[in-house]
Amino acid sequence: MRKILLGTTAVVAAGMLSAVATPAVAQTAPTVRIGGSMAAYWGYTLQTGRNISVAPTSTTGLPTNAIGQATNLERSTAAFGAAPNNTTGQGSSAAFMGTTDFVVLPAINFLVDAKLANGLAYGAAIQLNMNSMEGRNIVQRRASAPRTTVSIDEAWIYLRHPTFGEIRFGDEDGAIGLMNSGWITGFGTGGVFGAWEQFATRAAQNRTTTTPAGIGDNSKIVYLSPQYFGFDFGASFSPNLGEGGSSGCPNDVASGYCDRSTAFRGASGAGITAAGGFLGARRNEFQLTARYRGNFAGVGVQATVGYLGSGAARDILNSGATIATMRGLDAWMFGAQASYMGVTVGAAYTTGAFNWFWGNLRRGDRNGQQITAGITYTMGPLTVGGNIVSGLFEGASRMGGVDGATGVTAPVAAGTSGAAMQRRWGWGVGMNYTLAPGLDLIAEYAYHSIREPFVQQAAGSAVSATGALQSQIGGRNQSQVLLVGTRLAF
Amino acid sequence: MNAKFTLLALALILSACASGRLQERDEFATDDQRELILRATGANPRDAGLVIFGVDRSRQQAEQGGAGGGVSVNAFLWRATLETLSFMPLASADPAGGVIITDWYAPPNAENERFKAQAYVLSRQLRSDGVRVQVFRQVLRGGQWVDAPASAGTNSELEDRVLARARELRGLVAAR
Repeated sequence: MRKILLGTTAVVAAGMLSAVATPAVAQTAPTVRIGGSMAAYWGYTLQTGRNISVAPTSTTGLPTNAIGQATNLERSTAAFGAAPNNTTGQGSSAAFMGTTDFVVLPAINFLVDAKLANGLAYGAAIQLNMNSMEGRNIVQRRASAPRTTVSIDEAWIYLRHPTFGEIRFGDEDGAIGLMNSGWITGFGTGGVFGAWEQFATRAAQNRTTTTPAGIGDNSKIVYLSPQYFGFDFGASFSPNLGEGGSSGCPNDVASGYCDRSTAFRGASGAGITAAGGFLGARRNEFQLTARYRGNFAGVGVQATVGYLGSGAARDILNSGATIATMRGLDAWMFGAQASYMGVTVGAAYTTGAFNWFWGNLRRGDRNGQQITAGITYTMGPLTVGGNIVSGLFEGASRMGGVDGATGVTAPVAAGTSGAAMQRRWGWGVGMNYTLAPGLDLIAEYAYHSIREPFVQQAAGSAVSATGALQSQIGGRNQSQVLLVGTRLAF
Repeated sequence: MNAKFTLLALALILSACASGRLQERDEFATDDQRELILRATGANPRDAGLVIFGVDRSRQQAEQGGAGGGVSVNAFLWRATLETLSFMPLASADPAGGVIITDWYAPPNAENERFKAQAYVLSRQLRSDGVRVQVFRQVLRGGQWVDAPASAGTNSELEDRVLARARELRGLVAAR
């Protein structure tokens, strides 16, 4: 009995109650609950690419892969004149960055819950974040959005029935994001998957990790089954990368920004999503998962198998003909974790057709794979833990640009940019001390690096500043973040 | 592709032949900062925050727990203790302090011995160490009640019964 009462984790509870039928329920009038959270961290950051003394010529990084064609996905050409940080008047920059900073992460949640007499529960969840703007780009001096602008991170309606399970409809993680196992992040802010990304710049993309939640909150419909003998299942579908309302088109021209675009100019270069995740080639994304949770002699066990698949938008030639240059996502994820006496260990492995940050591959690119493992230990109010991640991805495509006239594309030459695989490697350790329910103190360290032979890495690095290509072993981009702070949720 | 169909088939077969258990929101992973913090710090995401419309049932349950106002210890443990010891006459019950004291009770089939129990509900949380029961025993010798040790395990057995009943009560409330 003591073991049962002490086993309050979801894993134990799920196993214990797996065969219990849901009793008849009373109707519950809707309740609207406001909650929120707030995190504040001090961070000490060391990273490559933080000192840029030579002005780069490109600032937006938007894909322009169709040769000679950039009209659909234009780079910014706004003239800044003598505005700070701009030396050439073309949006380029030069800066030297320090090491310490504060980061503040507020969020507000609205939760609606109700239940009908027949057992059908319904409601909604809306999460407002105030940190989605990474920087403030002052194009018009008095008409730009502050970095604390409120935006919706997730918003979904749910219907949950005791027999048929739950449907979530809205901007929400998919089945893999909701039912994954083996991704150990229950310490600090999540270790290598945690808040260090708030401090590091995006120099050479050495900041973004490839996680289940990173698949995206694009508008989707999710089905989550009841639990049968410890097993439950999930499925989700999303037609594209769009979130929120409207069509996604920023103006009256059909472009790759539009949610319903099935082909767009430059799609070949939009494997890795850009523009905050809205612009990319991924289409008709679907996720399938099966999860098991049980309890064996006091050891809580959880395992998940997940599949992520999708199609891809086609590129458009000068003639208007479309051409398939991208591969759909086709990846499997296997994860497992176990908990006993305050210790949780787990690991997850992902393999298949995907690039880092769940990017679509070009036809001719190679599959990716990634493994992560972690451990946490909780002793009273103190939790310590660590995790690692190691991924081998295509990174920069090994396929050359698409000729806009003929559609011809060919692999890049050996020893040139894109010809090799990209290694992404990182680890993190952290600790939490719970001061009160909803309040804790955090200390954490995270390291992350990327390396891809022959690819010009962060602007401002010793190699790329001269325009030379990276050597076989040089040019590793890395960042290290030590953060200390506190979090509060209510 | 076959593996994907196998996944789907397994899901359909299991759902067709069994009655499943409804899952709550906190049984799924999340990247919601509020939810993550509440889970990590032992707070309950279901009753955190402020109810601005409707009835805050979780607060009602926390404050009353079905045992009425004035209970400053865990209501489930308190009610479970009262029910478990209800076969004995009650001498006093202090819900503020969490103390229950019974009067002497002689079982019908053993009239030469009698028992008295004191129970302490120690926690506001439903924890396995949140209740302590102490049983006293006296036997009749020469017309006098004299103290005698209670059998080993009686105290912990009663505590286990209290905990079992407390869990049942919590389950009933959670299912409402």
